[in-house]
Amino acid sequence: MAGLLTRSRIGRGAAHRVTVVLVRRALLLAVLLAVVFAAVELLPGDAATATSERGETAADVSERRRLLGLDRPLLVRFWEWMAGLPTGDLGVSARGVPVTEVLGGPFPNTLLLGGLALAVTTAASLALGCWASLRPGGGVDRLVGGSATAVLALPEFVVAVALLLVLSSWTGWFPAVTITGPDGGVADWTMLVLPVLALSIPQIGWNTRIVRAALADEPTAPHVETAVLDGLPRHRVLLHHMLPGAVPAIAIGLATSTGMLFGGAVVVETVFNYPGIGGVLTGAVTDRDAPLVAGVVALTGAVVTGVLLVADLLRIRFTGGRA
Amino acid sequence: MSDRVRVALRTAPALLLVTVAVAGPWLAPHPIDAPVTAPYGTPGGDALLGGDQLGRDVLSRVLCGGRDLIVTSLLIAVLVTGIAALLGAVGAVRPAVGRVVERAADVLMLLPAVLGILLITLSWPDGGRPAIVGVAVVFGVPYAVRFVAGAAAPVAASGYVEAATAGGERLGHLVVREVLPNLRATLLALFGLRFVAAVYLVATTGFLQVGPQPPAADWALMIRENTAGILLNPWAVLAPSLAIGLLAISVNLAAEALVPRTGPRAVVPQ
Repeated sequence: MAGLLTRSRIGRGAAHRVTVVLVRRALLLAVLLAVVFAAVELLPGDAATATSERGETAADVSERRRLLGLDRPLLVRFWEWMAGLPTGDLGVSARGVPVTEVLGGPFPNTLLLGGLALAVTTAASLALGCWASLRPGGGVDRLVGGSATAVLALPEFVVAVALLLVLSSWTGWFPAVTITGPDGGVADWTMLVLPVLALSIPQIGWNTRIVRAALADEPTAPHVETAVLDGLPRHRVLLHHMLPGAVPAIAIGLATSTGMLFGGAVVVETVFNYPGIGGVLTGAVTDRDAPLVAGVVALTGAVVTGVLLVADLLRIRFTGGRA
Repeated sequence: MSDRVRVALRTAPALLLVTVAVAGPWLAPHPIDAPVTAPYGTPGGDALLGGDQLGRDVLSRVLCGGRDLIVTSLLIAVLVTGIAALLGAVGAVRPAVGRVVERAADVLMLLPAVLGILLITLSWPDGGRPAIVGVAVVFGVPYAVRFVAGAAAPVAASGYVEAATAGGERLGHLVVREVLPNLRATLLALFGLRFVAAVYLVATTGFLQVGPQPPAADWALMIRENTAGILLNPWAVLAPSLAIGLLAISVNLAAEALVPRTGPRAVVPQ
């Protein structure tokens, strides 16, 4: 990112804009975390009652409430949770284990899955969107547009089951179940193929349309018209004159997909038994472990904020601090 | 006229599928909770699509398993469209309201809706379907308001709304009588798009087992329950997957056909 910025001719205006963008993104994340904490607190039931077992007396529950620190004032706990977040302390789960400890192994696995899916989505949607834009209204354009519209609304688990049936059960090309290696990671790369595909396909649908629409706005720009009149080849105009102008819109689309990828990862991991946060969250559902889910939400929010920040910086880079 | 035929043709599959799913429980040949064949029994005889993990009739469960999904999704789509229409129209006349909604959308963008639903259903275990509807509405409204605001801005800037404002008409009158009637096409398209999003979200909660609970028949839950026996009776997974897939695709195509061709703009009377 730094290289990208130093290469650009950023003046004082752009530097100022970078600061504004950083502060704004940090503030938005803080607001989200406050809302998440409030939602967990204000709704009926807490971690102490959620983990109670049959036959426990009210005294047992209030004792555990004291152990988990839930008997202290709301604002004190809110301050402690928020103050701990920047230092990487995500609080304590309903079972009394630090949330960071529970998520330490699974979260990097989910980041790997989501990161690969984002890379595949970016590459495929750029390629398909550009291909469709070469001849607007042509056969390729209609085929790509139609397929993109068809897949973008599919829930990930439906895609996952279809892939499972075709590429695993019937052909036996890829394993149906992910096996965890001794280091807690994925044992073999072939086990990543189906989960990454299941996650990417709906997002490729979305982003192909965004790329196509962003490129459709470009031909009227004066520098593009000049390039066309100069008789430059079609693909050269597309890549060198149209694409740079479309980058901000494409980047914000992909950044929005990051959140969707996290949500989808929870589902896809469940289908393929992938060792990520999906499994942890499924356990949290059974345990009614809200602090754990809040921790996952905080981490996800931080990652999505990071990606949105990159999109913001790309916009500044490609608009040179204007607009 | 040809434009109308095009829209009718593209919305027909979605309407047909929704009708079949809502009428499904009356068409089911067997009860959804009694075994009629062996667990994961292959199709044949009494069970056209075979049996599920408990030997219950897959066909009957598929026919019964879509109504709640569709009714819940329709409710979400109606609520989101209605709230977004009001907020978007108010925002076009009163920009301060629009800015508040924009910030809310920026914050919610950081939280995947699926995680949001898990968070709320965990914090509020007895919330049930109202909790899911509530979260889906909260997550849907900010994006929907952007969609409406984009279409409402040119209407609000048009002469007759400015004239009405200058004439001292109150906010309620401006929104309901002057702005909203010109956004009919936009709102219809928005309703379709929000229905697609709601189907995605409600189905996903069903799959994650925070929605309908066994022994209820639900397409998403059926997929979850029967994946283990996918080789024994693929139809137990394939049939509900096809149902959800076709619903998502057909409703999406219908919504796309409803979007005004020039993009989400107002239909200004000729």
